[in-house]
Amino acid sequence: MNTREKVSWLHLSLTEAADALKSGAVTSVELTTAALEAFARVDKSINSAIWLEGAAALEAAEALDKKRLSGAPLGPLHGLPLAHKDMYYKAGKLSTCGSSIRKDFRPHYTATVMERLEDAGSVTLGGLNMAEFAQNPTGHNQHFGHCRNPWNPDYCTGGSSSGSGAAVAARLVYGALGSDTGGSIRLPAAICGVTGIKATQTRVSRHGVMPLSFSADNVGPLTQTARDAARFLGVIAGHDPKDPTSASEPVPDYEAALTGDIRGMRIGVPTNYFFDGIDAEVQAAFDAAVAVLKARGAVIVSVTMPHMDAVSAYGGIVSRVEGATIHAQWMRERPQDYAVHLSGRLYPSQSIPGTYYLEALARRGAILKAVAAEVFGACDAFITPTLRMKTPTLLATDIDAGTPGAIETFQDVSINTRPINYLGLPSVSVPCGLDSHGMPIGFQIQGRPFAEARVLKIADAYQRDTDWHRRLPPNVA
Amino acid sequence: MQAPLKETVALQVKTWSGIDQPNAAAGTMADALSATITGFTALRGLLAFEDEPSSFEAALQATKETTA
Repeated sequence: MNTREKVSWLHLSLTEAADALKSGAVTSVELTTAALEAFARVDKSINSAIWLEGAAALEAAEALDKKRLSGAPLGPLHGLPLAHKDMYYKAGKLSTCGSSIRKDFRPHYTATVMERLEDAGSVTLGGLNMAEFAQNPTGHNQHFGHCRNPWNPDYCTGGSSSGSGAAVAARLVYGALGSDTGGSIRLPAAICGVTGIKATQTRVSRHGVMPLSFSADNVGPLTQTARDAARFLGVIAGHDPKDPTSASEPVPDYEAALTGDIRGMRIGVPTNYFFDGIDAEVQAAFDAAVAVLKARGAVIVSVTMPHMDAVSAYGGIVSRVEGATIHAQWMRERPQDYAVHLSGRLYPSQSIPGTYYLEALARRGAILKAVAAEVFGACDAFITPTLRMKTPTLLATDIDAGTPGAIETFQDVSINTRPINYLGLPSVSVPCGLDSHGMPIGFQIQGRPFAEARVLKIADAYQRDTDWHRRLPPNVA
Repeated sequence: MQAPLKETVALQVKTWSGIDQPNAAAGTMADALSATITGFTALRGLLAFEDEPSSFEAALQATKETTA
């Protein structure tokens, strides 16, 4: 197989590649080799990987090819090369968490999601770049180098799952785990032009996953298409006895829900909060996405989001306090090992009163019920832009470099995603355009708790009539 | 005259947690907590006596999707 042929295989979506593997049109060794060669060619310019284990990956791929030839039943991700945000523990393997503090950390146990992905037949190539301890929305990393956007390396990738967004956009892997505490899957998905889903809070196990916030952390995939995300999420979702906070809710067949039929579905567009100060180009791309859904037969309705002042105030402190709590010892002992922007964020969070924190948690259920009654009483799902601004450059959001206005821009990146984490709702971000700088724009789709099938169905229906998710950036495999 | 918020934060964090302000950005971000205080001030009185954090898991179940 020559380089051009290898590249064309990498441009398939995850589910297309899975079908090709199952039919024998291509082998796992061929795809894994192609992916490793693509990293070697492309990753110099985008820095999406922290480490790769090529030999181990090829060994795993060879075993999977033998399994297919034996006629044994194959998993839904059989033979597919994936790589993941470097915070998913695998016994004996490096897990840097994007940090200097854990640059040599090798856990002695394996994350449930990693076990499920490998049980489903995937090949793990290595650990991907990420914000230090998953705590910035831009993808800056002082310790391993900033991750750079495949659409233009001067621009940020979004974070904190920066390498996951960049590697999937550059077609280096078919999918990647990210994590989302305030937008960290959806932001890099939107900014890199791929699809990313944060499921309902408690939907996916967090056992063996680096913690940031007990109350708001979520595990989920970044992929090329909504169908890919459905396949991937179906593998990792579901109760895990090792994570007592994981929901016992049965996991439906997400792919079976992707019929393309959204006729009569009521899709809400909020009249408040999510569009305040929005960039005109982002608004235009969003409006065009609404028109696509309407043309597919969805009924577009206006909704007013209740309690958004409370959601902002409460949602703004929960992850900060929890993050500051678990980092307190290192903050005392190793303050010089944190990047400026991270220690600067963690530090004031130490002073937020416990009474504020408990008030934020105690009000969360009542506010979710109010949103369910007032919003989901009027619509089946609601949509908003994932970001209100165009993708910023790395420099414009570089707090450590002292860029004027960087702190404010940095905080505004996640202004539309953070509220969804406080509410615990499932949310998928889908690419819906390019701005005048040639950078991707995305919109996010939210449903009731455990409505992952519905939000994926809407995303898939949208992607049947658009090709933004198929567009290739200049820095691509 | 009231001390700037970042000085109050510095004293509080040092006193309660034994952590020093790590950099100038931390001071700027500490000052930004004034917006959080304003937000919470506006919400005073909304917390009910019986509200508790476990209500969230119950609310996820109570409000979940039943048909797709």
